[in-house]
Amino acid sequence: MTDLLTWCSAPARRRPLMRLLVAAQVLYVLGVAGAGYATAAFGQRIVLTTEPIDPRELLTGDFVRLRYNISAAPLRLWHDAAPPRRRQGVFVLLATGPDSVSTAVGVYATAPHPGASQAVLRGWVTDVYRNSLGLRFNLERYYVPDGSPLRQEKVGRTHPLRVRVSIAPWGQARIAGVEEVRAN
Amino acid sequence: MSRKFIETDGPAWVTEGIISDAQRLKLLARYPPEAQALGLLPVLGSVLVGLSGLSLVAANWQALPAALRLALLLGSLLGSYAAGGYFLRRGNPDLGHGLMGLGLIFFGASIILISQLYQLVGYNASGLLAWVVAGTALCYIYGSRLLVLLTVLIGAAVQTYCVESLGSFSYATAVLVAGGLGYYWWRRPEVVSSTVLAVGLLWQAGLLVIALHSKITWFFVPAMAIYAAGDWQRNRAGGRALQGPSLVAAYLFMFGLATFGETDTYANVLRPPLLPYLAALAAVFALSVAGKRARGRLDTLLDWLLLLPGFYLPGGLPLAVATLVVLYAHAGSVLARAHRDEDSDQLTIGAVLFVVATAVAYFKLTWGFFDKSVFFLVGGVLLLSLSWYLRRRNVQTLAAATPLVAQQAGSPPIIPPATPETSPPAPHD
Repeated sequence: MTDLLTWCSAPARRRPLMRLLVAAQVLYVLGVAGAGYATAAFGQRIVLTTEPIDPRELLTGDFVRLRYNISAAPLRLWHDAAPPRRRQGVFVLLATGPDSVSTAVGVYATAPHPGASQAVLRGWVTDVYRNSLGLRFNLERYYVPDGSPLRQEKVGRTHPLRVRVSIAPWGQARIAGVEEVRAN
Repeated sequence: MSRKFIETDGPAWVTEGIISDAQRLKLLARYPPEAQALGLLPVLGSVLVGLSGLSLVAANWQALPAALRLALLLGSLLGSYAAGGYFLRRGNPDLGHGLMGLGLIFFGASIILISQLYQLVGYNASGLLAWVVAGTALCYIYGSRLLVLLTVLIGAAVQTYCVESLGSFSYATAVLVAGGLGYYWWRRPEVVSSTVLAVGLLWQAGLLVIALHSKITWFFVPAMAIYAAGDWQRNRAGGRALQGPSLVAAYLFMFGLATFGETDTYANVLRPPLLPYLAALAAVFALSVAGKRARGRLDTLLDWLLLLPGFYLPGGLPLAVATLVVLYAHAGSVLARAHRDEDSDQLTIGAVLFVVATAVAYFKLTWGFFDKSVFFLVGGVLLLSLSWYLRRRNVQTLAAATPLVAQQAGSPPIIPPATPETSPPAPHD
């Protein structure tokens, strides 16, 4: 009786199967890197602002948690017959203002068609409150590179950040860069 | 019998005329000097080499250009797998599997570091899922204990990351570990791998209970489902090995209930809705009994005593007495089975369980009534006499089992016979 295990571990099949497995792993890693590169190269650029970060996080880890100004959307922006549910996948329609910062103009359950100077960002509902929605975008962690000025920030001196985000044509989004908004 | 034993005692046997010197050398030749620890050395070596390279690269990681980082990661991955394959072909499976495991670790490191490089680490673990898939595939191809252990650890780590950092349980990871490695266990019920897998699955079950914010007693439904799977396993040793961790968990819970359960403080944490919980547990029980019946193992049915949901009783004396009765009944069932099977390991376990139950009973029921010094005196005497009695029973049982062996060997019965429960599993395909 040959089962899957005997089939896989037959001496004649081991080498070709192993080559296939290693090739798949290399391709997967290249795919992850390629998707990251392509998102930056071909993606649509938008700028989002965040609430001030807590630089103390960098004392214990490599990343800071970002909370965007679009992470809380008023419920009146919700465009769907059914009420929003927690964990539901949503599409946030963003419009770029005169200061080049994007703000949310609508939250949809199905993908909307963006107009000129508009972009669509994929998000997930984390909380549904009486008048607002909590959203996350998988962009909430920023791995701070070694030379970044964020690493020199002193505790208590925090500024809001401007985050440049690239959105790939296939919907994947990633952080392309982060800079501080200096108070004038 | 180990080589060391013959080396140290052999000359004395020759002097006493039990064996001749030629026989001693023959015996020595039967056990070539291959130390067990040697199998571990290549694994430790590969881990150390990996760590040194890792720390060198990690110190300069941020300064390296992206393409070089990618090349370094993929180079280490390919190098480890290639070296693993080379040593396997050379007939050195320990080193070969160790290096294959290192390659698997590099695969996970590549996913994590490349995701960080491009700021792709988000809030889902689909990237890490590929790591579990690769580990499972590697187990299927090479079927090694080390790779199974590594894959179970990776599955547990990914799931822990999902629950702790992302706040959601990854069902895909759980299904992959349970299905992928479960099938592996079904076909290759090796004892150590089975126990490792069971612990890994219990970890996943525990995280599921945490993620769902359920009552902790729900944990025992998946835990006993793992136990029931062990009942259906054709290889008895492999099945028992899978059941061990679930039984330990159930025993520890019952022990905790007996020790701390008399106040009603824990009731809210422990009591799930009665009907759904009992229905789920009964379904698993039915599955287990069917398995035991099909494989002729109804003698282990009393394991289920530990799952009696005593926590529905009101706290205080009824609960304390009920749990103690269960602990005693369970210890008695283990002892009875061990006596029937003439199994010295099980006898020891049964004796320990019996003493533990007695200790708990004594603490619970008499602490309030006795003067402290009398309490300790009576307790000590009670435990000493109990252990003496159990030891005597133990020796009697084993002595009754050994005369045949003793006659053949021409020596008094000292060494207990090989136990049926602990005999190595026979592979079946």
